[in-house]
Amino acid sequence: MMSLPFVLFACAIGAAWMRQRGVSLGFWLIGLVTMLILFRVHVTEVLSIQL
Amino acid sequence: MSAELSKLLNTLGLLAIGTVLTMAFIDQVWFGELPCPLCILQRAGLIAAGCGIALNIVFGPKPSHYGLAIIGAVASAGISIRQILLHVVPGTGFYGPDVLGLHLYTWAFLFAVAIVLGSAIMLLSDRQFSQVQPSSGRLKALPLTAVLLFLILTIANIFSTVALCGGGLCPEEPDDYELFSIND
Repeated sequence: MMSLPFVLFACAIGAAWMRQRGVSLGFWLIGLVTMLILFRVHVTEVLSIQL
Repeated sequence: MSAELSKLLNTLGLLAIGTVLTMAFIDQVWFGELPCPLCILQRAGLIAAGCGIALNIVFGPKPSHYGLAIIGAVASAGISIRQILLHVVPGTGFYGPDVLGLHLYTWAFLFAVAIVLGSAIMLLSDRQFSQVQPSSGRLKALPLTAVLLFLILTIANIFSTVALCGGGLCPEEPDDYELFSIND
């Protein structure tokens, strides 16, 4: 599951390589959303920054 | 700034991102420092930023492509800040070795800030956007190499992450790969 953003970004670069700009932008957007969701999943540890 | 010069600067920017990703791999494979989940997501953020730069190279410079680079870099910087805050208080530990006095997540933050600043400076030049790019123009050797290297590094990250985490989420502090062992 953690490799999903990389898969989607690789698809975005591949689509750009094939000169499919719209498809590339679509893959990029889904990749970014996936990345942020995974970030949310991993930010469970409470910060201890009280001094 | 001409579109050609803009393309060259974007190529150098993409090569810089490729260099950072390669150094991360060297640290992982050569020195055996396995990346934590936030480290992996920082790499993904840098690749998201690099996608915008790659689009500039392939399709010619557009403000929207710089927008993608900035959004990707801001996401990467946000993830880095989260990791910096986890260890900001003395005595709360750290993750991984330091390079020139700063940990890799701090370097990742500084690099993401540099991408944002670089993109903002590039956006100051309007002339690069006024020149129409041929839709089927072939890339020259250096831009082609930069995009290809970037694609290869992105695919390498897929294999690396699958090897480290399998099909699920990554352990918070990985000490070995999921698919094979390096500690035998």
